[in-house]
Amino acid sequence: MTGFDRRSVLKMGGGALAASALLPAYAFGQSTAINYWHTFTSQSEFAGLDEVMKLFAAAHPDITVTQENIPNPEFMAKVTAAVVSGSRPDTTMVASERVADLVAMNGLTDLTDRIASWDRRSDFDDARFKSITVDGKVYGVPAFTFVDWMYYRKDWFDEAGLAPPTTFAEFRDAAIKLTDPAKGRFGFGMRAGAGGQAYVINVMEGFGAKLVQDDGTIGLDRDKAIEAVDWWAGLLTRDGAVPPSAPNDGFRQIMEAFQTGQTAMVWHHTGSFQDNAKLLKPGVEFATAVIPAGPVNKISRLGYAYNTVTNPDTIDAGWEWLKFWGEPDAAIAFLEKTGYFPASTAAAKDERISGNPLYKPAADTLGFGIPAPSFPGSAGWAEGVVLPAFQRVLIKEATPEQAVDEMIDGLAQAIG
Amino acid sequence: MISNTGPAYSPRQRSAFDRYNPLRWIGELSETRYWMYLLLLPSALLICAVVIYPTLYGMQMSFHEMRLNRPGLGNGWVGLKHYQRMVSDPIFWVSLRNTAVWVTSAIALEFLVGLIAALALNRNLPGSKVLAVLILLPYFLPNVVAGHMWALMLDPRLGVINDLLVKIGLLQGYKAWFADPTTAMAAAIVVEAWHSFPFFTLLLLAGLKGIPTDVYKAADIDGAGAFAQLRLITLPMLKTIIAAAVILRVIGLVNSPDLLLILTSGGPGRSTQVLSLYAFQTAYKDFNFGYAGALSVVMFVLLMVFAWAYVRLSKVNED
Amino acid sequence: MAATRSRSKLVWDIISYIVLIGLAFICIAPIVWTFLTSLKVESDIVTRTMHYIPPSITFENYVKLWNQSSYPTLVINSLIVTSTTVLICLLTGTIAAYAFSRFQFKGRTQLMLGYLVVRMFPAVLMIIPLFIVMRQVGLLDSTFGLAVAYTSFLLPLFVWMLKGFFDAAPKELESAARIDGTTRLGAMFMVVIPIARNGLLATCVFVAIAAWNEYLFALMLTTSTGSRTWPVGLQLMVGEFQLPWGMLAAGGMISILPVIVLFALVQRAMVAGLTAGAVKG
Repeated sequence: MTGFDRRSVLKMGGGALAASALLPAYAFGQSTAINYWHTFTSQSEFAGLDEVMKLFAAAHPDITVTQENIPNPEFMAKVTAAVVSGSRPDTTMVASERVADLVAMNGLTDLTDRIASWDRRSDFDDARFKSITVDGKVYGVPAFTFVDWMYYRKDWFDEAGLAPPTTFAEFRDAAIKLTDPAKGRFGFGMRAGAGGQAYVINVMEGFGAKLVQDDGTIGLDRDKAIEAVDWWAGLLTRDGAVPPSAPNDGFRQIMEAFQTGQTAMVWHHTGSFQDNAKLLKPGVEFATAVIPAGPVNKISRLGYAYNTVTNPDTIDAGWEWLKFWGEPDAAIAFLEKTGYFPASTAAAKDERISGNPLYKPAADTLGFGIPAPSFPGSAGWAEGVVLPAFQRVLIKEATPEQAVDEMIDGLAQAIG
Repeated sequence: MISNTGPAYSPRQRSAFDRYNPLRWIGELSETRYWMYLLLLPSALLICAVVIYPTLYGMQMSFHEMRLNRPGLGNGWVGLKHYQRMVSDPIFWVSLRNTAVWVTSAIALEFLVGLIAALALNRNLPGSKVLAVLILLPYFLPNVVAGHMWALMLDPRLGVINDLLVKIGLLQGYKAWFADPTTAMAAAIVVEAWHSFPFFTLLLLAGLKGIPTDVYKAADIDGAGAFAQLRLITLPMLKTIIAAAVILRVIGLVNSPDLLLILTSGGPGRSTQVLSLYAFQTAYKDFNFGYAGALSVVMFVLLMVFAWAYVRLSKVNED
Repeated sequence: MAATRSRSKLVWDIISYIVLIGLAFICIAPIVWTFLTSLKVESDIVTRTMHYIPPSITFENYVKLWNQSSYPTLVINSLIVTSTTVLICLLTGTIAAYAFSRFQFKGRTQLMLGYLVVRMFPAVLMIIPLFIVMRQVGLLDSTFGLAVAYTSFLLPLFVWMLKGFFDAAPKELESAARIDGTTRLGAMFMVVIPIARNGLLATCVFVAIAAWNEYLFALMLTTSTGSRTWPVGLQLMVGEFQLPWGMLAAGGMISILPVIVLFALVQRAMVAGLTAGAVKG
C-alpha cells in the first residue's frame, strides 16, 4: 500500500504547484508570493505583525507575503496535515518546543549554510540558535523571545511587609500569608488547566528532576519528581493558597484572577505585561520579579519563536522574509506594538528596554534562563500525560507517587 | 407499498417531441426494475469517493506503525500491536467509560426535553410560533460560539450563573464547575443538551404533525389518558423518526470532540476525556496515527454494534 | 365527560405554556447574556462585581471585531459552503431516500445501514486521507471542496431523515396516481415529494445548520481567508492570547445574525407547511 508511505506522499506533493494554488493570484508580473503561518492572535500581536509586513513590503516590493493565523491549539494539527499531504506553507513561525517534532516529521528546511553566511548572524548569541539546531543543522532564525517572569501585587506585598520571593520556600510562605478567604484573595494563581504542563515540568526541574540529562538521555528522577509534584499540588491541596478553580485555569483565567485582584502572584512571560498594565497600575499595584529558584535548580524559561522555511521551492523569497525579522528596525517596531523581546542581542540593547526598571527581571532572566526541554514527542507527552496526571493530584484522584509513575510510563511510551 | 407488480405502463403513440423529451425518457426508465438502483447511484458514488477511500486508509493505519515524529520506526505492518496496547491502556478504558456516560446522559436529556418541547409546540397554542423560534435558536449556533458563551457564563470568576446561584442562596461562593471532576462532566452535558435538544424538537415536531388527529379523537372516546396516548399512539408512530434521530445524534456525540475541546480538553485529570478527544490528541498532539487509527476503528465498531442493535431492538425496519 | 375533557385540555394548555416559556427562557437567556456582554467595556466584564445591566454601553467590540476579522468574506464563504452542501444533498439524497422508502429490494436494509456506517468513521482520522484526495483533485482550500467533504457525513443524515418523512407520507395518493397511469418518476415528483415537502424542508434546514456550524473539517481543509468559514475564522481569533470577552461575545452575536435572517425566512415556510395539514393523510 503505497498510499501509506509518508515519504512517497511527500514526493507526490512537494511541488510548487500545490503551494501556489493556496495563494491568491497577484497581478504584479514578477513578484513572488509566499505565505506565512503564525500563531498570533491578540490585537497587539496583529499590530506588530502588520508593522513588520509594511516595512518588509517597502524593502522588498518583489515579494508579497500573505499572513495566515493558525491558533496555538490547532497549529500542530494543521501543520501535520499540510506536511503529510504535501501542501505546506512557504514559511512558518515555530515555537521552540515544537521544533523537535517538526524536524522529525521532515517539516522544516535546512538553512545552515544561509545562516552561516548571513551578515546579521553576529547580532545573535549562539545560544539563541540552540533550540532550532538538530543534529548540527540549523532550521530557522529566532524572531523574538518569550521571557518567563513573575507578576506580583506590589501593594499587597508592601502592606504585608513582604519582599518578592526569590526561592520556592519564600514563595510558598508569601502565597500562604497573602491568602485571605475573607477578602477572596489567594496567594498564587496556578495555571493547571490548558498550558499548565510547562510549569509542572519547570517545578520538577527546580527540584532536581531534570527531564533531559546533561548526556542527552531522557528520564525522570522518580523521588525528586514526586517531591516536586507533592509540593506544587500542595499549594492547593494542603495550603489552600491557590484558587480552587486551578485545575481548569488556563492563561485567560490566571490573568483575569490577577487583574481582578483575586491572586497576589502569577507566573507568565513578558507578553502579558501590556494587558496587566491596562487594569493595574504598573510599579504601584503590580511589579515584576524573576521566577523564584527551586531547592536544586533555578529554572526560568526563555521561549523563542523561530521563523522557518517549510517549503523548499520558494526558499529564496522565504529566506528574505525570515532574515528581515532580524533587522533592528523590524524587531523594535514589533517590540513597540507587542512587548515581546527581540531575539537579536543588538536590538535588545535598545534604551526602551534597558531604561525601564520593570523590565529588569526579564533582562536578568535572559542571562540565566534556558529553553524548555524538547525532544520528539515531548510536547505531546507534556500535554497528554503530565498535565492530566498532575490534575489528578490536584483533584485528589491520585497521589503524587501515582502521578509521577503515570508520567514515567507515558514518557517511556512517547520515546519508546 | 408500491411494488414492482404495479399497474403495467402502456406506451402510447409518441410524438417527435416526446422521443427527445428527457423527462419522458427518464419516466420510462422509472418503470424498469433497475429504477431504485438508478436512484441510489449518484449518492452511492459520491459516498464512495469521499468516504470509502478515506475510511479504508484510516483503517489500514491502525495496523501500521505510523508515528510522524519518529521516522526511524518506519511505517511497517505491526498487526494487532495497537489493539493490544489499547487493552492495557488505562486512558482508553477511562475514555470509553466517559464516552458512555457522555453519550447516554446527553441523549437522554436531549430526547426528553426535545420531546416535551415538541409535544407542547404541537398543541398549536397562540404564540407558540414565536416560542418555537426561540426554542430552536440554540441549535443554530456554531459549537464554537456555544462553547465560549457557556465558558463565560460558567466562569469561576466572571460567570453570571455562579452569581445568580449565590444570590438565590444555592451556592455559598462561586464554583469552578470545570475544575471539579464531579461537576465538570455534568456541566458539559448541560451545555451539550442546551445546544442540541432542538434537533429532537424539530424532528419530533415534524413527525407529530404527520400523525392524523382522528387517531387521538378515537383514543379520547376510549377514555385513554394523555400518558396512555403518548405511550400507545404517539411514540409508536414516531418510531422511525426517533430511531433516525437517536442514531444520528449518537454518532455525532461519539465522533465530535469540538465542544469538550473548548470547554475542558478532557480535564480535570481525565474526568471528561472521551474517545474522540483521545483519538484527536493521539493523532495531532502525539502524532501517533497508528494508535489513533486503532482508537477510531474501535469507536467505529462500537457505533456499528450500537446502530445494529438499536435497529434490531426497535424493529424500525418492520412496517 | 365533555366538561372533564375540556378541563383537562385547559390544564394541559397551561402546562404547555409553562413548559414552553420556561424552555424559551433557558434557550434565550445565554444569548441575551452574550448580547449584553458584547455591549460592555472590558473593565465591566473582567471585574469582581457582576453587572447585569451594562453600566456604559459601547459598540467598540463590534467595530474592532469587524475591522479585525474580514467578517463579510467569512460569512459569504459559509453561505456558499452551506448552500452548495444543501444542493448536493438535495440532488442526490432526495431520490436515494425515496428509493429506500418506497422500494423493497435485495440488500435494502444492508445498504441503508451502509449509508449510516459511512457516517460513523471518526472525522479525526478521515481528515488526513481526505486532505490528500482533495489536494490531488485540486479541491483543497476551496468552498466547493469543503462542501463535498461535508456531504460525506451530511448526505447519510439527509437520506436517513428524509426516508423517515417519506415513510410517514401516506402511500394511498401515490397508488391512486399510479392507477391513473402516472409513471413512477411522475408519482415521485408530483405526489410524494410535495406531500413530504415539510419534511424535505426540515431536513434541508438540519443539513444547512450542520454545514454552517461545522468546525473540524473546515479548520483542516481550508487555509486561506478566501475559503475559510466563519466558525473557523472566529475560533482562529481566539487562540492562546484569547480575544477579549467583549469581542468574543460580539463575534457570537454576529454569527447568529445571518442565521436569524435565514431562519426567519425558512421558519415561515416551515410552519406554514407543517400546519397546512397536507401530511395528515
